[in-house]
Amino acid sequence: MRALKRGFRNFRRHPLRNLVVILLLFVCLTFSLSMLAVKLASDSQVQEVKESVGNYGEIKVSSDYTMQVFEEERSKSESERQTQSRTMTAEEQLAQRTRFLVSEEITDAFSQEAEVITYDKVLDARISVDDLTNSAMESMLSMRERNVQTGGTAPAALSSDSFSFEGNTNGSSLSDFMVGSKKLTEGSFYSYQDYLKANPVVIIEKTLAETNELSVGDTLTATISGQSGKSGEVDLTIIGIYETVQAEEQVAGQETFNPMGDTLYAPLSVVQKLYNTPGYVQLGSYYFDSEDSVAVLQQVFDNELSDGTLEFATDQESFEVISDPLTKVGKTSMIGLAGALGACALIILLAMAIIIGGRTRELGVLKAIGATNRQVMAQYAVEVICICLVAIILAMGVSAMISQKMGNWLLSDDTATAEQSVTQGNGNGMPQMGFGGAMDSRLYKEGSGFSSGSQESLKLNVVYQGSLFLYGILILFFIGLLGMAVPVIWITRLKPARVLSIE
Amino acid sequence: MQDVLEVRDINKTFKAKAGNVTAVDKVSLRARRGEVTVIVGPSGSGKTTLLYIIGSLESPDSGEINVFGEDVARSETDLISYRRQRIGFVFQFFNLIPALTGLENVMLPMDLCSVPASAQNDRAVQLLERMGIDGRLQKARVNKMSGGEKQRVAIARALANDPDIILADEPTGNLDSATGKLVVDILVELAREDGKCVIIVTHDESILAVADWAYHMQDGRLKGIETGS
Repeated sequence: MRALKRGFRNFRRHPLRNLVVILLLFVCLTFSLSMLAVKLASDSQVQEVKESVGNYGEIKVSSDYTMQVFEEERSKSESERQTQSRTMTAEEQLAQRTRFLVSEEITDAFSQEAEVITYDKVLDARISVDDLTNSAMESMLSMRERNVQTGGTAPAALSSDSFSFEGNTNGSSLSDFMVGSKKLTEGSFYSYQDYLKANPVVIIEKTLAETNELSVGDTLTATISGQSGKSGEVDLTIIGIYETVQAEEQVAGQETFNPMGDTLYAPLSVVQKLYNTPGYVQLGSYYFDSEDSVAVLQQVFDNELSDGTLEFATDQESFEVISDPLTKVGKTSMIGLAGALGACALIILLAMAIIIGGRTRELGVLKAIGATNRQVMAQYAVEVICICLVAIILAMGVSAMISQKMGNWLLSDDTATAEQSVTQGNGNGMPQMGFGGAMDSRLYKEGSGFSSGSQESLKLNVVYQGSLFLYGILILFFIGLLGMAVPVIWITRLKPARVLSIE
Repeated sequence: MQDVLEVRDINKTFKAKAGNVTAVDKVSLRARRGEVTVIVGPSGSGKTTLLYIIGSLESPDSGEINVFGEDVARSETDLISYRRQRIGFVFQFFNLIPALTGLENVMLPMDLCSVPASAQNDRAVQLLERMGIDGRLQKARVNKMSGGEKQRVAIARALANDPDIILADEPTGNLDSATGKLVVDILVELAREDGKCVIIVTHDESILAVADWAYHMQDGRLKGIETGS
């Protein structure tokens, strides 16, 4: 205790000398702790990314196959197509409708893999609903009509009573609602039981409901594709109303429309019935236990399920795009940390060598008047610890303020690359609308909202964590012990008689 | 008078580039309580080495040192205890700790022996006052003091743990003659009044006048001389 007091007294009595050492240590420690904070942040963010990205995949018709079919269709003349359409048998018509769909047998089989945690099936189809006006579609059609009059291309066969129906096995896991682009404002979602029992229920958009004066409990009549008359009609009960949170309106002249509002959500089995494609889905959607399982599942798909028309699309690329810059920043900060700690070690070693060298006579006197080696060492240990403690407290304060900037600076180059890759990864950067078929490279988990092609910039959130405080203490001990090495060696080897004889 | 210190056949040889140098050659010596023993000799004669051997700062190659009839052991713990309880050093260059005040320098040996802080302070003040260092000067840093003041602080420090033996190495070597005389008088007073065993090594032969026992050291050998006192 007395040695500690003596050490602290000596620390206070050499302010200028200590200030120089503290300043040097402070600079290096600030850099070390900032680098450490960036490293911890990047590691934790990569871990967070792993929980939400990279562990998703879906089985759907491949883009190559879709392109191939389109090319074949394009090579046919209009009269050939009409003739073919007239002479089709019921089986051929089903085959025509399901050529861009996947058999449920395949998606179900894949869901049995041990790595699969959750599984959903999705079907998106355009269905006609009697006595329901799609004002958004009307607006779009009138815009297209004007384009045709001014020399534009004729529109595809769309009508104002045509709606996009999206079905899955459980309403609460619909991706649009999961990502937050849509929000249920009234009623409830359909359940898994609704899917199993094919209960004819539906969720519609708020504006659509208001325009057509509909509310929860009302009924709509939808027509089964390819059928007519009463037998081809299905009454759907409205059980929920949603609003489009991230509605993006496309403005053309005086007219506006919200294309995200024409989607009706119903149990998958109901949509399959309406689209007349029983046993077929647009895709199977899977979440895995970890992004590490993707390779294994890809192999399973390639070996056991792929017939050349299907693909297993994952968000692995998105994971790499996000995690790579973070990983690089982590590595760079680790190098910075090692360098700065090395500099700290060098500073404390040199400083203590200079300090002890200048106080050799004092050491000799202490030993001559009966101080034990332990007493002298304890005194110097306190001096070293005081120097390091002041430096590290200051460094912690300053690094808390500058770590974020350091992180941003380290991330800046990689972010630019990542943003470019993300944009390229989304195709041509053009706005993507809806859940419009196999041509769409968007994954189901991302929802069907608009994308302007530019992604939110990658950010590193350097939060000062409790673990950093513990690392700070560890660094303090490391530097303190290193600083102590010099006096320990000096003191144990010192011969007071030699020192005291020096004039 | 009781024998405090008995040195028998001490040898010490140092290795040098030019060969071995015998600093202390079969030296024997006795010193008693209440007496001043002075060893004179030119520089390099081995007197400081002898003093350091007596003070256990240097270990002899051979020979024996007895204090109150007991051999000074050579284990580190015993040597530290010996230095603390039996020996008080006074050096030519004072060897005070410059960052400390006079008072703190005197308190330091007691602090190392875990004497309570208040007792340390009382004794240090008492010793410094006896040495003529007043209250203001006691709290001044020693690097602000004159040579005589420093040496008196050094003597007070040597007395801090009330040792039996005071070893003074050229105590007047760095002082003017008047201050030197004052310091020597203090050392003599410590022997006469406090019953300390004072051993002074010096090249200043005028100090021989106060010696009860005087020796001349030349080339590591010690020879008794008449002091006339």
